[in-house]
Amino acid sequence: MGVQVYIPTPFRRATNNRDRVEARPGDVGALLDELESTFGGLRGLIRNETGEVHHHVNIYVNSEAIEALQGLKTPVRDGDEVTIIPALAGGA
Amino acid sequence: MTLTPDELEEIRGHAEADYPSECCGVILVRGGGERVLVRLRNVQDALHRRDPVKHPRDSSTAYAVDGQEWWRQVCKREDEGYRIAVIYHSHIDVGAYFSATDTQNALLGGEQPGYPDATWVVVSVVKGRAGAAAAFRWNAAERSFLPVDLPVFRA
Repeated sequence: MGVQVYIPTPFRRATNNRDRVEARPGDVGALLDELESTFGGLRGLIRNETGEVHHHVNIYVNSEAIEALQGLKTPVRDGDEVTIIPALAGGA
Repeated sequence: MTLTPDELEEIRGHAEADYPSECCGVILVRGGGERVLVRLRNVQDALHRRDPVKHPRDSSTAYAVDGQEWWRQVCKREDEGYRIAVIYHSHIDVGAYFSATDTQNALLGGEQPGYPDATWVVVSVVKGRAGAAAAFRWNAAERSFLPVDLPVFRA
């Protein structure tokens, strides 16, 4: 069954325009490793060079923000849904 | 085409209503003329209060949209066939320019913007009154956001 991952519009150029992809169970960090390995264009879009998720990128597991769970260590299981949302931000 | 007169007025009204905070929103379009202007909440103050080191600015100089709201208001509409045509925000007591912060965030950590076809509209609000508005688009050759005319059309 795997973990279903929602890919937001701005990142789909890295996933051959796929809006949903499947990943293996584990934790969020390992899931991002797998995504970046499969779709090299995602490198740098979700995490910075030190492996931290960008401030403007939100990751949810079954609609719950990973900050409220265990961050990148949040477990993901078969049937879970992971949503990646780069939200709008900016300023003067 | 960029904005209708009503949309420009709504953006200006949004910018004045949220002063002295920056406002933000998008216009989504679909097919032959469906247009939806979505006002989004600026949650920058909450981020700043929660972690002022990670988020040193407050809403007077920055804006951020909550991810869940972005999902509900924008991603779901994109899945229904809409696309983002305009992304707007305001600047408080300064001009309507496209800042380095705006550029950095628009690039979403990559080398080209997340929404390369969108027009970015910035409205200056000085002492609570909306003033100059300017539009910017990504120029791939220059690898930069450059000013463009802000044409207002009648739908």
